Amino acid sequence: MKQATNPNVDMKGASSKGGAFHGFLSSFPLPLVPLFLFLLIFFLWPIGALTGNAFKSNEGAFTLSNIQMLFQDPYRLAFKNSITLGLISALVGAIPGLLIAMAIEKQGSQTLKKFVASISGVLANTGGVPLAFMFLAAFGPAGLVISALKSIGIDLYGMGFTLFSFTGLVIVYAYFQIPIMVIVISPALTALRSEWKDSAANLGASKAQYWLRVGIPLLLPSFIACFLLLFASAFSAFATARALTVGNIALVPLQIGSLIDGNVTVNQFNLGYALAFGMIIVSLLAMIPYIWIQSRTSKWQQK
Amino acid sequence: MATEMKNLGSKIILLVTGIFIFFPLYAATEFSMRNGAEKTHGLNAYRWIFQQSGFAENLAITARITVLAVVLNLLIMVPTVTWLHLSGQRYKRLIEILTILPLIIPVVALATGAQLALPSILENTVYELSFMYVVVAMPYTYRALDIGLSGHPLATLTNAARNLGASWIRVLMNVIVPTIRPSIFAALFLMVALSLGEFTLAQLLHWTTFPVWVTNASQQNIIGATALAVGSLFFAWLLLFGFTFFGGKNSNTVQEEA
Repeated sequence: MKQATNPNVDMKGASSKGGAFHGFLSSFPLPLVPLFLFLLIFFLWPIGALTGNAFKSNEGAFTLSNIQMLFQDPYRLAFKNSITLGLISALVGAIPGLLIAMAIEKQGSQTLKKFVASISGVLANTGGVPLAFMFLAAFGPAGLVISALKSIGIDLYGMGFTLFSFTGLVIVYAYFQIPIMVIVISPALTALRSEWKDSAANLGASKAQYWLRVGIPLLLPSFIACFLLLFASAFSAFATARALTVGNIALVPLQIGSLIDGNVTVNQFNLGYALAFGMIIVSLLAMIPYIWIQSRTSKWQQK
Repeated sequence: MATEMKNLGSKIILLVTGIFIFFPLYAATEFSMRNGAEKTHGLNAYRWIFQQSGFAENLAITARITVLAVVLNLLIMVPTVTWLHLSGQRYKRLIEILTILPLIIPVVALATGAQLALPSILENTVYELSFMYVVVAMPYTYRALDIGLSGHPLATLTNAARNLGASWIRVLMNVIVPTIRPSIFAALFLMVALSLGEFTLAQLLHWTTFPVWVTNASQQNIIGATALAVGSLFFAWLLLFGFTFFGGKNSNTVQEEA
């Protein structure tokens, strides 16, 4: 007769076709082997190889010279540009994103919430070449906005504006940065319970006091986490930047692209790996605090 | 009066947002329907798309990559997440950390590493992209499945099926998969959306997929390229919106039934 055995033992036995290896398996999670192997081969191994090559000379000897190159122009400039782009783009995404999420929260309609969540999910995944062309059609030299403004006497391109610039990238990135912000900050706003606002009011707190002592302290960690996420997403964006800039702005992802693409002499491959390694370090600095804060704040948000 | 003002404020914010979202799309649609230098509109640029030699061929390549990515993703993730929920709880924290790692590494950097060190059998086939896409999508697909499984008494269902004599494969296929179908669809759609639009890995690993072809084609015909952009955006959006709006609804109803 089959019994409702402890599923702990049973599931492990299942993937070994029977239960012969129970003793061994209870200490080794066999069902996790496929995932481990997959991540090892297609994620950890490539990253490891890349890191190793970043510290190798073309002859294969250990060297720090590739890394030292990162602190010299044009690579130093590229890191400076990419980090600045990340910071400005994060700010341009975070503030409107927060305001929109608050406006939706205030409207309180579930249908609106769901609609906005759907649209945000879609827009947050909109990137790359189609996004670049969409903005070219609106803000490019022959674009709708530009020609409309020209017809009323405002020549933006004549005034020095161009979409193929740092400012242009910030405008285009906002199209996916703002929706990302709406998605990640909304749970924190929903978790700010109206009871807290009421109890603060009952205890005699003014609106300003409530926000200063309750609202902002609770929201600030989430806001910082979202800011870091937006920073990382703009810092590492490749496709949109490649489609929009014509080599006129030094950005790390684009430099890696051209070093790796084989457009240059072979002896610069390891420099490309060093650049990628540098990118990983910058990204880690933003994403590790992001993940840490998110896992901390999600605890009280669920309660 | 004060609350009315505030509601007005938030309505204005939402209106401005709406304009910011839809205006570029409108502009792109208008631009893509221009007939060259004349001030007329038509569908010439859309006809141009289908006349291009690489169109069908590259779309087919991307479709095949996508199918393989979806299959790989489900084969690896569904049994793993199910096991974690049924009896591997103590490994959950570890897997959560492992699956979020791809989010930390910029795709450009991952592509650079992949160019260096992928298994040699995969190096010369475009399907290496499918494997990489599964990795890149993992932070999202894992979470989609994890959330879906959390809402169900899987252990009870599984024990019931096992007591009635079902094999583990049968439990997985006939009990678990139907129960968590909405989250499987969620993972599937995330994978499809990523795979259809992915450019960075394809470009840096030197494969011509549909998005890469679109970029190359755009260099000859700017209006045609905009038409392609509008077309692919609408297609991706339809897919994603359909999934998030209706998919979400489905998963709620199922949870209520369970």
